Amino acid sequence: MLERISITCFAASYGVALGLEISRLIFHSAWRNVLLWIFALAGLIAHTLYLGYRGYEAVLTHHTPLSSSAEYYLLAAWVLGVMYLLTLALQPRARSGIFFLPLVLLLIATSRFADGQPFPQERAASIWFTLHTLLLLLGYVVVVFGFAMGIMYLLQAARLKAKQPPTARFRLPNLEWLELANQRSVVGAAILIILGIVAGVIFNLVQQGIIPWHDPVIWRSAIITGWLICALLFCALYRPAQRGRKVAYLTIASFLFLMVSVLLGLVFKSEHKAPQPLVNRVRIEAVNRGMAACRRCAGEACA
Amino acid sequence: MKLLLVGCSHQTAEVALRERLAFSPHQAEQALARWRDAFPATEGVLISTCNRVEMYAAADHKGDLPTHRQVAEFLADCQGLNPHDIFNQLFEHSGETAVRHLFTVAASLDSMVVGEPQILAQVKQAYHLAQRQNCAGPLTHDAFQSALRAAKRVAGETRIHEKRVSIPSVAVGDFAQEIFARFDDKVVVVIGAGEMADETLSYVRAAGARQPRIVNRHDARAIDLAAKHHGVAVPWAELDQQLAAADLIISTTGASQPVVTLERYERFKDSRYQRPLIILDLAVPRDFDPRIGDELNVFLYTLDDLQAACQRNRQEREGELPRALSIIEDETARFMTDVYHRATRPIIQQLRSGWHAICDAELQRLYHKLPDLDAAARQEIEQTFERFVNKLLHPPLESLRAEARQGTPHGLLDALKRLFRLEE
Repeated sequence: MLERISITCFAASYGVALGLEISRLIFHSAWRNVLLWIFALAGLIAHTLYLGYRGYEAVLTHHTPLSSSAEYYLLAAWVLGVMYLLTLALQPRARSGIFFLPLVLLLIATSRFADGQPFPQERAASIWFTLHTLLLLLGYVVVVFGFAMGIMYLLQAARLKAKQPPTARFRLPNLEWLELANQRSVVGAAILIILGIVAGVIFNLVQQGIIPWHDPVIWRSAIITGWLICALLFCALYRPAQRGRKVAYLTIASFLFLMVSVLLGLVFKSEHKAPQPLVNRVRIEAVNRGMAACRRCAGEACA
Repeated sequence: MKLLLVGCSHQTAEVALRERLAFSPHQAEQALARWRDAFPATEGVLISTCNRVEMYAAADHKGDLPTHRQVAEFLADCQGLNPHDIFNQLFEHSGETAVRHLFTVAASLDSMVVGEPQILAQVKQAYHLAQRQNCAGPLTHDAFQSALRAAKRVAGETRIHEKRVSIPSVAVGDFAQEIFARFDDKVVVVIGAGEMADETLSYVRAAGARQPRIVNRHDARAIDLAAKHHGVAVPWAELDQQLAAADLIISTTGASQPVVTLERYERFKDSRYQRPLIILDLAVPRDFDPRIGDELNVFLYTLDDLQAACQRNRQEREGELPRALSIIEDETARFMTDVYHRATRPIIQQLRSGWHAICDAELQRLYHKLPDLDAAARQEIEQTFERFVNKLLHPPLESLRAEARQGTPHGLLDALKRLFRLEE
């Protein structure tokens, strides 16, 4: 039963929820909120079951559960889905789904293009490695959450500056709430990502005694961490930066840095991954030697 | 069921008459007690608000229902008025029209400010008071429960209640509350102590604001307003200090020149560290230089801006009116069908019991002739007879139900009575 749940199932549920959120801009319906909750919850439950089953499968086949980049994107989408439902509960009249659900779907879509190969088991088993990946994952999700809040803040502020009262079809949370969410996103993301990087450094020192500075993933993390430290310092030293549009700009900029980091990750592969399986390696070596790899022995015996 | 409504509202009577006829809760209680004594066979509910006084009377038979004149005399008598003075200013509705009117009132579609939410609570209170005074009964219960359902549908299926239409309510509800999540930790400064300041402060205080600071050129009025709203009166000389500390400013002075120019604002601007500032400039001419509204994190709303928002809201409410009225029509038709159908019940019961009596007699005769029948066979035969009666009754009952949608089916009822010799 559980193996039948696919990415399409929960992506479709989130898609319908997004459609319902968009329809709120067009017409009024008394039943829509109930349907919205049903589809959003159904998506999250299917998402949870899917991830749970993937983890269970990995344990059965003696692999590390949920340890590939693709699965991290799905985990990030799950955390963002939970944040969306929390926002829906706290601000039921706000049209937050219009901002959150596309990001959830974007993360799910990105997982299709991301590397599906898990990290080597000896790495993943380390507590420092687990902390490293978990903190980075949460930090990145907070950046995405902050981006949604930042966009909402700018829209709401622009509308209020233009003296436009809210319409029933398009409501947003009040500016104070959004400002607080933006502030907390900047600080929270910075803390989580910096702690994640520290955990990664400790892991490398404990495991290998060195830090692989040449690995592109280190540079990607350094870019976003550097930016978040700058943002934190800016907020601490310049008081108005904690206020209004400035803090919204900071969260949006953080997201742009994250996007650059993700794109770099899709282009430059990390050395954090497991070594190629033996059969593939032999095939590649055989091809490199200009020999056709035998299908049955993968070139090993023929070589 | 017979329903009669006699009363007056802001649409039919002058404010002077409404004031004279209005009942306080205590007076309404006494009036209902008198109603019970005067018309013991009639249920009565009295709705009295500042915009309407309406007496609803309901009885099973038309003969028990008081006339328009009797209700008018009753109302006049309760308030010590001459019935002749009010008689011509009272309107009367009966039957379906009265039901429609009650539903329209409960849904706030007949209010002076369409969609204002208080009326539903007032209708509920009026009904509960009638219940406590033993004036309400099954007829008014059905009518008022249906009215509450209609009002709930209008509130849930339209946006008629969502839009505010007064300047202070729009200023606070549509703008200030879109900026601040809470007001208990905000500094509210009021410049001027006029009527508009007073009204706006009521909304701000209802939103949670504490200790508003009132700055006025005349200290006495500032002290009065401060006392009324649990605030603090501040001398005019401290205005700049108050402006620097403020999160929300309500300005309503009668000054002929702007009280706060851009240059004056810039003097304390830096000390605010770009903290959001809402300025509700409700004065004519304006108290704040409009260029201040261009400053970062300053949200300046003038009377014109708020009036434009009110107008938009009013139009949106009016746009919802046809949909709301169609709900009222739908609920009225549903209620009236129930009422008409209820009138057919005695005949249906007679018909059903008469036929069942025949069945029972025939069954007894059959059992007498076939004494060896076992319990299972008897049960099967009884069920067959039951089905037979129900199937025979189904077409006339369906015809009655269909006819009841248009009104009490007197013709069919008479035909049934004559055909099957049913008694009145």
